[in-house]
Amino acid sequence: MNRIIGSRTPIDDALAKATGETTYTADIKLANMCFGKLILSTIAFGKVKSINYSEALKIKGVIDVLTYKDFPSTKYNSALRFKGHGILKTETVLSEDVRFVGDRIGIVIAESLEIAEKALKLIEVEYEEFKPIIDEEAAASSNVQLHEGLDNKVGTISTGSDADKVTELINKADFVFEDKIKIPMVNHVSIETFSVIGDYKSKKVTVYASTQNTFAVRVLISDVYNLPLNKIKVIQPTLGGSFGGKLEVVTELVAVGAAMKVNRPVKIVLSRKESMIASRTRNGATIKVKSGVNKDGTILATDFRILTNTGGYVGSGMNVIGAMSHKLLKAYKYPLRYTGSPVVTNTPIAGAMRGYGSPQAFLGMNIHVNKIAMALGIDPIELNMKNIVDKNEVDILSFGNPELKECVIKGKEMFDWDQKKKDTTEYNKQNNGYIRGIGFGIGAHGAGVYPAHQDCINLLLRLNEDGTFNYWSASHDMGNGSLTAQKIIISEVLTTDVIDIESTEVNTETCPWNLGDYASRGVFVEGEGAYKLAEAMKSLILETAVLKFKVNKEALSIKDKKVWLDDTELGSFGDIAMYAQTTLQKELSVLIDHHSIAGRTSYGAHFAEVEVDKSTGDVKVIDYVAVHDAGTVINRHGIEGQLEGGIQMGIGYALSEKMTFDEKGNLLENNLKKYRIYKANEMPRVRVDFIENGDNGGPFGAKSISECATVPSAQTIINAVANAIGEQTTIIPINKEEVLNIINK
Amino acid sequence: MKDCKLSINGRNYNVQVEDKWTLLYVLREVLGLMGTKEGCGTSDCGACKVLVDGKAMNSCTLLALKMEDKEITTIEGLGNSDKPHPIQEAFVEAGAVQCGFCTPGMVISTKALLDQKSDPTEEEIREGLSKNLCRCTGYVKIIDAVQLAAKKVKELK
Repeated sequence: MNRIIGSRTPIDDALAKATGETTYTADIKLANMCFGKLILSTIAFGKVKSINYSEALKIKGVIDVLTYKDFPSTKYNSALRFKGHGILKTETVLSEDVRFVGDRIGIVIAESLEIAEKALKLIEVEYEEFKPIIDEEAAASSNVQLHEGLDNKVGTISTGSDADKVTELINKADFVFEDKIKIPMVNHVSIETFSVIGDYKSKKVTVYASTQNTFAVRVLISDVYNLPLNKIKVIQPTLGGSFGGKLEVVTELVAVGAAMKVNRPVKIVLSRKESMIASRTRNGATIKVKSGVNKDGTILATDFRILTNTGGYVGSGMNVIGAMSHKLLKAYKYPLRYTGSPVVTNTPIAGAMRGYGSPQAFLGMNIHVNKIAMALGIDPIELNMKNIVDKNEVDILSFGNPELKECVIKGKEMFDWDQKKKDTTEYNKQNNGYIRGIGFGIGAHGAGVYPAHQDCINLLLRLNEDGTFNYWSASHDMGNGSLTAQKIIISEVLTTDVIDIESTEVNTETCPWNLGDYASRGVFVEGEGAYKLAEAMKSLILETAVLKFKVNKEALSIKDKKVWLDDTELGSFGDIAMYAQTTLQKELSVLIDHHSIAGRTSYGAHFAEVEVDKSTGDVKVIDYVAVHDAGTVINRHGIEGQLEGGIQMGIGYALSEKMTFDEKGNLLENNLKKYRIYKANEMPRVRVDFIENGDNGGPFGAKSISECATVPSAQTIINAVANAIGEQTTIIPINKEEVLNIINK
Repeated sequence: MKDCKLSINGRNYNVQVEDKWTLLYVLREVLGLMGTKEGCGTSDCGACKVLVDGKAMNSCTLLALKMEDKEITTIEGLGNSDKPHPIQEAFVEAGAVQCGFCTPGMVISTKALLDQKSDPTEEEIREGLSKNLCRCTGYVKIIDAVQLAAKKVKELK
């Protein structure tokens, strides 16, 4: 019986955050610090002819204006994860060639933020302009290369289960269904915008950054500025949300370069608009999907093709396509062929965002499957159950314990699907201005990154003289509570309270190495590392107790932060630490390494009821249920919070969020009035639950939730709207005019 | 630069400000009161909310000079880790805090709401927080927190 695994534990820094005491990057002030504002391209495609900043330099308090001419032209890929990561390098710190509105050209440095902003307005940039390409399909078929020597369609990844049989099986089926689905680019909208402070003194760089990937930031600084790794210190202060957006280097290299030039710390905090155009996005996509289906709803095979819009630079392009390539195979059990390509365009750079390709793939696939169910007149849940992965089923790339069907069964019951189906049909018979519908969606996402590349962490734990612990984990908590989950795991093993374990901020100089925090590693990989660390500490405590009390180790146990010989209390952890320090003359600390042996897959099934206003086309979500296969719940507060937040992101994806551009490449939804995330008064009360049948490779059978949480959501809403109005919509997010047109047919 | 007298969290400050400086800019860049956050700068997200004469307002679009003769309360004025306000305790206990960047603004809006209505319905809570964006929680545990806070505040009375 677990003591605190599965309990409700507030995240460890909740009180500091609720009282405003937490220090985020933008809250840090260093002595002699100055402020930078980026000079960003105002055109989507072209070349800078001249930059006139003489007027800006005249303003009192302006320290310098730097441009691409002052910075190294070393090419890099901001999505780099570790030294030697072989990905296409197309980006530079600042650029003369601009490839989207928001591309970095230079930086104004001033004594205050206000002066920097004033000076920026006086800078004139002249460009040679080329016609931009906004859409991925247009860029893929264009003869104009956006990057010299590189096809706009950067590469192709093909995978599949029995892929060679797919065409034959589709042709053999009773029916063939084909869809083309276009999904817009969207933004993370972390409430904290991108913030960084770069400092350079005594031949050493220190960076404070809102990042999920400190050690990779360190590698990129080393590569671009030719500095040894041990002279670069990257610190992650508390992160105000990220969702993958802060995985890649965005402003860090500019701040470091600027600090080196002016010999002072330089702080850059992006405004909301800058964060939207000049950081990272979720790839827009064009999906073409074709399936052969028998009359009874059995899908014989699917051919799934996707082009993603990876934006102005290659960045994560191939990686997202690669990560996406096997996700559908983990959820659907019949032969499926996947072909994907990232395409460069003249739009903001796409990167990682919660689900790393899975939301697009499952959105397209679920809409397609729902249309099939509607066409065949089969209940969508019934049709899905014929085609989705069974318990303990093994896909070609992984193994583990998929509990997707359990999620569907439990969720269907919680939602009361069959009753709701009758109720909505009855409701819609009354002519009252509204129609209701119910929808269903599934999704899957991985936990951990192995075998795509190495997936490891080293961790350090010290027992203090009073029995408390210090924990060094370069786990980049984003507010999702992964660090708290690790502390719960350690506490479970060491019989302590979470408060007894204090952790430090991520600091590349003081923490053992870790990958960045992506691929839902926080619980599955880092949490398993924490488990091993705690077990190693427990052994060390017991071994030390053997020396102190001259007893056999086998007879010893720990409970309530004390060492026991059967039922007799021998001493506290503090006593053991003191004995070690005074008699053995050593500290009781353990350093362990952990690597993941294989990723696991998390699953979820979502259910929604919507109400459509027949006169306006407005859609309101009135009920929502989600059940996820979590393996084991470590922190019930944490996992529920993750899922509830993921649902809000998915509802926005379905109903309100999009990044669209005018023909010149200007973002139309460039503030939080126009880019609409769901508000408290628009959200339904969501109900969530979990399947906890365990899986192997993670701590106490846990896998992950953070990314998977959002994967099934958008399609659930879109399918519910289709159920209400009797036809699948084609525009994402849901477009009121299209809804009205369908209703009025 | 002009003289500006501000009353913040019960303390009087004399500061020099430019005409265009916002209250948020003065709080953060001049006075170092970093608990109030900037999430948008356009009055759309509510991360910068402070109480102005008891009303929750976005400090990113309030001019500092217009705040003279008003009583301003920031998140620092409600409580601290050693002596948290019951609303702050409720946010912690309900699991309503994730990344925390919207939390100070949420707590301020909750304070304004509960000062007006000691026992709000769920709908009133959702309406009361509709000017505060959160990207982590889906608002579920935030609504729980406000309900819990209402209970805690009432018990204190």
